[in-house]
This record gives sequence, structure tokens and C-alpha cells, in this order.
Amino acid sequence: MHGRVKLKSTAQQEEEKRKEREKKLKIYVTARDAVFAKRKNGMLDDEALLLTQQLLSSNPDVATLWNYRREILLHLETIREEVDVQKMYEDELSFLESCLKVNPKSYGSWHHRGWVSARLPRPDWTRELGLCDRCLSLDDRNFHCWDYRRMVVKMSGVPVDQELQFTDRLIGSNFSNYSSWHYRNACVPFNNMKPLGVILAFSEYELVQNAFFTDPNDQSAWFYYRWLLGRAEREEMISCVFVSREEERVAVAFSRPVNVSTATTTFVILWPLVICELPPGTISDITNEHNLTVHWTEKHTHRDCALYTGRSVSWCRDSATDQELFSELSVEKTSVLQSELQSCNQLLELEPQNKWCLLTIILLMRALDPLGYERETLSHFQTLKEVDPMRGAYYGDLCSKFMIENTILKMEYAEVRVFSLSDKNLTTLCHLDQLLLVTHINLSSNQLLRLPPQFAMLQCLEVLEADNNAIENLEGLYHLPKLEDVSLKNNKLSRLSDLQPLASCPKLTRLDLRRNPVTQLVNIESELAELLPSVTDLLL
Amino acid sequence: VLHVDRRSYYAGNWASFTFNGLLSWIEEYKQAGPSDEAAQEKVEEGEEALALSSLDTSITNVEVFCYARYRGNTDPGEGHLSHPKMSACETEANAHLCCCDYSQLMYSRGSLVDLLIKSNVSRYAEFKNVTRILTYRNGKVEQVPCSRADVFGSKQLTVVEKRMLMKFLTFCLDFEQHPEEYQDFSVHSFWDFLLTKKLTENLRHFILHSIAMVTPDVCTVEGLRATQHFLRCLGRYGNTPFLFPLYGLGEIPQCFCRMCAVFGGIYCLRQSVRCLVLDKESGKCKAVIDSNGQRISCSHFVVEDGYIGLDQRKNVDSRQISRAVLITDRSILPSDSEQQISLVTVPPVEPGSPVVRMVELCSSTMTCMPGTYLVHLTCSSSGSAREDLAPVVSRLFCIPVSPGEESKEEEGSEVPSVLWALYFNMRDTSAVDRSSYDLPSNVHVCTSPDAALGSDHAIKLAEAVFRQLLPEEEFCPPAPNPEDIIYDGEGPQGEGPGFEEADPAEALPSQGEVESAERQEEAEDAGETGDVAKQETVAVAENEPRPASEE
Repeated sequence: MHGRVKLKSTAQQEEEKRKEREKKLKIYVTARDAVFAKRKNGMLDDEALLLTQQLLSSNPDVATLWNYRREILLHLETIREEVDVQKMYEDELSFLESCLKVNPKSYGSWHHRGWVSARLPRPDWTRELGLCDRCLSLDDRNFHCWDYRRMVVKMSGVPVDQELQFTDRLIGSNFSNYSSWHYRNACVPFNNMKPLGVILAFSEYELVQNAFFTDPNDQSAWFYYRWLLGRAEREEMISCVFVSREEERVAVAFSRPVNVSTATTTFVILWPLVICELPPGTISDITNEHNLTVHWTEKHTHRDCALYTGRSVSWCRDSATDQELFSELSVEKTSVLQSELQSCNQLLELEPQNKWCLLTIILLMRALDPLGYERETLSHFQTLKEVDPMRGAYYGDLCSKFMIENTILKMEYAEVRVFSLSDKNLTTLCHLDQLLLVTHINLSSNQLLRLPPQFAMLQCLEVLEADNNAIENLEGLYHLPKLEDVSLKNNKLSRLSDLQPLASCPKLTRLDLRRNPVTQLVNIESELAELLPSVTDLLL
Repeated sequence: VLHVDRRSYYAGNWASFTFNGLLSWIEEYKQAGPSDEAAQEKVEEGEEALALSSLDTSITNVEVFCYARYRGNTDPGEGHLSHPKMSACETEANAHLCCCDYSQLMYSRGSLVDLLIKSNVSRYAEFKNVTRILTYRNGKVEQVPCSRADVFGSKQLTVVEKRMLMKFLTFCLDFEQHPEEYQDFSVHSFWDFLLTKKLTENLRHFILHSIAMVTPDVCTVEGLRATQHFLRCLGRYGNTPFLFPLYGLGEIPQCFCRMCAVFGGIYCLRQSVRCLVLDKESGKCKAVIDSNGQRISCSHFVVEDGYIGLDQRKNVDSRQISRAVLITDRSILPSDSEQQISLVTVPPVEPGSPVVRMVELCSSTMTCMPGTYLVHLTCSSSGSAREDLAPVVSRLFCIPVSPGEESKEEEGSEVPSVLWALYFNMRDTSAVDRSSYDLPSNVHVCTSPDAALGSDHAIKLAEAVFRQLLPEEEFCPPAPNPEDIIYDGEGPQGEGPGFEEADPAEALPSQGEVESAERQEEAEDAGETGDVAKQETVAVAENEPRPASEE
């Protein structure tokens, strides 16, 4: 017997639903108030457990309730036999499973599960791993579950290759899921796995190549690839010590920014550079020889520097010719990088417009031979900016960085203190800590907008040429003790206050400001004369 | 809607059978119904009778081979099979083996799936995704990488091939947007087009035979469109574009029958229509006379091609399909999982031989016993089914030397052995124009399964016939959900006793009385939901589509 087809009126349905909701809300609110009252009175009993369970099973995202539950469980743990404790926590786990069904991405539920699993006297990790498998097969991007899985794997000592196989399976079914790739780098210690490492790394490259050849526009594989190729970590060291007799100061450059206690006022910190003003008269006598040692106690390292008789300056540094200084990639074997470059070039032939491929090629080329591949790198950057204009500025900055690195390398090879990088589309300045000893710098005809504060690290700078840029800010030209000649023709300096930092450079005598808006200001000449009295050669 | 069927099962040539059902079908297909003169009595003045064929001639060349040893006599219908896997088939009464459903698979974005969803008929069936596409190439069965995940995971393709394949498939997905890529090839064949696409030989094979599934000589645009259709079906329900209904495609016509019955359609199995009663003046069919001599008035008559007598089909030029059904002992390409549903495309094994499409079903499809596989082979006929298909079977399977002789299973041999085989030809009238039949205009002819994968032609035909019957009505409108139905307080809640219980096959034939399969109070709904094309015969009652036994 079948009924008649008659659709209920929507108003009728709405009304029914509304009543249903009201009823539910009333029950919920009553239970909530009861729970809060109990907690206030410090009642840690089974009834509270039951009430919180009712509430949490309809809304598993109330952190307070989970906290209360933990208080109760901890209390019950102290008054119960181990067998009962085991039972209590097992019940808790099955309750949690029902909560995860309500909301598989509930922070509270997952956190509580981790807590319970850790407290369980006799944990069943196989079951927990099975739970993770199930959850991840339903949603392979559930990061709560991935986190929980990591905990389970760690606690139960699941072998690495078993976890690798697990991600193999997930990647096989959906290689665009970065979670699966990421889990590999979280669980696989590729870097410190020597015997297995080489073979594993080889199949790892193969796997990831399969992914980016299949779909080169999918970023998951590229990101993992980038991780696989490694990221160079610079050795922590004192890279340069520079002593100037005249200024009675020592400048120390570190390989990374350092914290220096500023208890004494004699330190000026410019991030990776520390300038130490020596007490007056310490090294001023030119007939004396001085041996200085800088200690980096934190790293148990030091560097010596001798200031000989008759010399006004002295420095001690490692040559920066070492390519790895700037390498983004750390894979030791050049042959691996070489074959990876070949694969990527093969892909580029098929997909000349692919930005991920282009970018990876650039990185590989830099790791292999930054100067040798300079021309190709530049042309790839050009293509990148065309195919991915949305990230044009990023590519511009990255290209600037590489150009600066190349120029530093060339400068080191030539053993000169002149840094010239004009007409290279520079958009930003970096690695300025490497330019501590530079006396002449030419940045003309680029696209620079400012001379950043780090520019003040150029302690030996005498001549600066930065014509034909779009500079509107000079905050980096600050306390440069040797700076004499500054040329800023055709820039965007428009206010007198923009030139204020120059007043801190004691030796500035020549300043060229032609074709800057600031020259149009009334009384500019007299104002400048007042601001920069040392400048004798002013071009407006 | 009155639905009469001379068979004891639903869906005619679309049906699926249990193994025993199949054995009886083999026996039955050649038996003619009793011829009938008595029908003439019911024909009145101004009318004439037009007899329907009492013998279904749509199935021919049936040949059965059993390679498992019999314990008793050698008759395949009665013998006991000694092969453990085969005897399991026999003893397990509910072992479903689908047989006659020609286009065993459904495109996941095909018109059949769309219709099942739209009409809510899908609620009566369950489906599984075909898990892999295979092909036969250079004497080996290989998996065809067709989805993104397949291409990624494929071990047979180099990374460059992976890129080339993905690039080509991505292009096909919206090839209309890039006319510059193919317009120069509009007069050339798809194969010529593929040759210019920098694809390696195996990629061309995969695309042509397993993805586009066309012959090399089709035009470029047709090949591209076929590829596009395949790709668009990917990923909707799984990694291949195909679905398989559990228990066989024969379930699908039954689902439509069920929906029809729920809304008042009346079903009579084992009851045939002997002849049509034509009005001499108008030349239209005004009634039918059934096998019990009962005259039933109708305004339209829908009939399957197999019922139409020779006289009326003189001008009909139909094609034939060759079919084979095998039971084998292992998968054609063993993998980690035993439960694979595979579509295998077999290009011509020799020049001039047909392209064969093969479907291998595992036990989880509920079509065969665990440990066995059910294999369907299909191609357009050039000779008898056995002549067409045996060469492929012998290449892909191990056939025991003589019936009764069990194959010697060599250790490590990967080739599956055939335990049982059935060959037959089936008439394909899908390309026949209605006007070639010499029949009254209110008699509508529908076809047996056609040669294409998917059931697009049948759906299109069903809708076309429906439009002629009821031009004002919507075709297969969504059926209401059970919770939207208000019950009058009588009888149990829910769907109540189902279709099976009211099965007219049991309820009715001998008395010749027509009983309501499902009572339907709102009579106007009744005419809307019948799926006409799939049913063997559907007569639309003359006055109103109200069940005859209305109390």
C-alpha cells in the first residue's frame, strides 16, 4: 500500500522545524547551566561526566567542557583501580569517535583524544592508526588527523617505511594533496639517513618528477621537490672584522643577525653587523700595532684581526667566493643537481611557459654555477615575468638578489673594493653585510625605490652613485663615516626631510641632486646649506 | 500502463540472469509460443488482426562450452560440474550472472545516469565504479592510464610521455576552444591527427582504442568529441568514466519498472500479446489480443523489435552483434586487489577482424562467485559470434583442449582459464528507421541493446516514444521522496510492500485477469512515469490510465 503524494506546505515544515529547534535549545541550555554549576562547586563525579558527554556529543567544540572533563578524569584516575582507569579511558575514546563523526575537524576532540591516548595505561596504537587511516580516507587533508597520526606513530614506533608506504598510497590516489607530501618530509629523516638515503632520495626524485611531469601546474609536487633539493644553511661564523684607527671603532659582521647585549652604549647594532666604538685613544697611535680578537661566545668561535704599525685600517675576512654562500639548494652531489636540471630542461621544452619549471631551473642553475648560467637565468626571469605578471615584483626582487650575489662573487674574484651593478633592473638591495669593505658603489639606472637602513652597514663607502632610479628615501645613508661623494641624479627625492640622514655623514662634501623634485622647492639652496654644512659641491 | 511480457523475467533482451536462469534461457530462446487462431474470434467487423511473431528471432547462433568436468551426464543444462569453482556457481542459487545486458557499463555522465538521477530511479539500484581500463597490445594486457592519478602512477610511461599524454588530454577536454589545433584536419582522420601530435606509438594506441574508443578512420572532430566525453565522465564517481550496476545492467530496466509500478503501472509476466487489432479505416491499432485470448483496448502500443513478425519487417535491414560470456578462474591482469572491474579494449587481432570490447567483472559486483570472473565480449558481427570472438578468447585465455578436460594450470601461468563459455549473436536494430517497419502509426518500436557503450540510444528512443504518446508531459519527472508522501493511516508506513510482493507474475496470468500491481489513487500521475522503451510491451489504456482492478 502506497501513500498519496502530497507535498507538505513549506510554512508547515518551517514551523515544525522551529519547534524542534526550540526544544533542543532548551535541553541544551539546561544541561549547560547544570554543568557550569557543578564545576563551580568543584564536583568531579560521574554525573558531570555524563552531562558534559551529552553536551559535547551535540557540540564537540566547547573547550571549557573538555577541560572540565579532563579535571574529572584526572580526579577519577586517583581513586580508581588501574583496570577501571583503562576502561574509563577506553569509553572516552569511543565517545570521542562519535564526536569526530559530528565534526571531523574539531580541535577540542582531537586534542582530547591525544590527551586520552597518552594517559591510557595500555594504549592500543594499532586501533588509533586504523582510526587515522579511516579519517584520512574520508578527508585526506584533515590536518588534525595528520597531527594525531604523527603522535601515534611517534608513541608506537611505527617504522618509517611503513609510513612512507602509507603516503605512497595517498599520493597515488591524489598527488595534488600537499598534506601527503608534507607528511613525507615530516616523517622521513632524509637528511640524516645515510645508508638508506641515497636510494630513497633517488626514488623520491623519481616520484616527484612523475608528479610534475603529469601536471606541471600543480604546486604540491614542486614545493616538495624544492624541499627535497634542500636549503643551504650558512655556517654560523664571524664573517668579517674591520678595524679603523681613525674612527677608533671595530665593525664585526656575522653570518646571521645576532643579539648583542646593549648594556654598554659603545655598541651600535645594524643587524648582522655590530659596531664597537673603542674608548678614545685605544688605537689612535699610528706607531702602535694592535691585535684584536672578537669572541662569539654563544658559538664558541672567534676571529683575530691585526692592525699593523703605520696602517690606518685593517680587516680580516674569509673570501666570499664560496658558491654555497648564496645557494638556495644544499644537495651535496652536483651530479644529482645536474641530472635534475636536465629533467627540468626536458620539461621546459614541453612546457616553455611553466612558471614552476622556470623557477626551479633558475634555482638549480644557481646551485650549479651562478656566474656561468647568468645569461640564461636572466632570460628565464624575463619569461617568468611575462607568464606570471601577478608575481612580477617577487621575480624582480629575486632576480635582484641573484644579480647582487653574482656581483659580489665577481668582486671577490677580482679582489677589488668596488661594487658596480648598474642597469640590471634591481628592485631591491640585499646582502649589504657582504659589502662592509666596499669603497665605491654604483647602482645607477636600476629601479630602486629606497636605500634601506641596512645600507648603513657599508662602513667603508666613500663614493655612491645611484642615478636614474626612483629613490625617494635615503634612510640608509646614515652615519657612514667615509662617505664623501653622493650622486642621486634623476630620482624621486621630493622633501627636504628626505635628505635629513645625510647630515649624519661627517665627510660628505659632494652631493648631486639634479632632476629631483626636491630641487624645485623654494630656498632649497639655503636650506641645504644649513642642513648639510659640510657639502661644498652641491649640484641642483 | 499495462506491461505484458512473454518471459518469466523483466527486461527482455536487456535482462541479467543467475547461472541457472541463464541455462534455462539457453533452452528457452528457441521455443516458440503456441500459435493461435482463436484470436480471430475477438476481431470484430471493420477490424483486422496483425499477428506478432511468436518466436523471438533476435538471438541466434547460441553455442555453449563447458570446460569443467561433469560428474554426471554431459548435458550442460543438467550436469554437475566438478570444478570446485563451477560447482559453487551451480549450488549457490543466488549467484547472479548477468548475461544479455549488452552495454554492460554506463558512462558516469551519460544520459542514462542523468535520467536515473533526475527521476530518482537511482534509489532502487547500487553501482560500482569500473576500476581500470585495460587494453591488449603487442600480445600483452596493459593498463591504460586515463585519469590523472593513473598517469602519475603509471610505470610503463616515461615522464615525457606522461606530459605528452596529459597535454593532449587537457587539450581534448576543451578542444572547441582551440580550433587552430585541429581545423586543418577536419577532412582527415583522427589517426592522422594523432600522428601529428608528437605522441609515441603506445600513447596513440591508448588514445585511439581505449580512450576515444573509435576506429582509426573516424574524422578528427568525432575522435576529439569521443575523447572529450570519456574525459568528462572521469572523476565523477571514481578514476574511470564507467559505472556498473550491481547484479548487472538488467537491474536498470527493472528499476524503471518498479518506479512505474509504484505509480500505477501494471505488470504481467509470462503473458504475451498474440496479435494487434487494427481499425481498417484508420489503419491504427485499437486493441491487442493476449495469449489468453483476452482483448485489451489501447490507444498506443509499444513493442520491442523481436516481437515483430517477418511480414512487417521485410524492409528492415538490421545489423548483428556478436557476444560471448565466459566464466574464468582468474583476472586477465592480476593486481593487488582481486576485486577489479575492468574494461578491456582489444583492437583487431588480425587485419580485418573486429574491434572487441571486453568487460571483466569480479565477485564484488554480485555477478559471479568469489574466485571466478565473469567476462563479456562484444563486437559488431561479421560472422557468427564464435567465429568473431573465439580468436580473441584464445589469445587472451587458456582454453582447455576439449570440453570436460580441465586446463592444466601451469605454475606461475598468468593466463586465466575459461571454465565455461557462451556465444551468441543478437540483432541490433538501433540504426533502423521506424518507417522501415510496416506497422500502424500508433505502434512504437523499441530496440534491443545496441552496439555502443552506454545506453544513450535507448534513452533517446524512450524519450522520443514518450513524446509521441504524451507530448504535454514531462519525461521521467523526479519522483517524490518517501518523506514527502502523506499516508492516509491505512497500511504500513514507508514504501510498504514492494514491487516484488505484488509481482504480477505470480498474481495473475492464468485467470487472465489483470490485477493492479500497485494501486494508485491519483490516476493522473500514472501515465507519466512509465519508462516505455525498455519494456517489452507497454500498452497505454484507452480511456484513462487507471488500473483495471480499481475497487
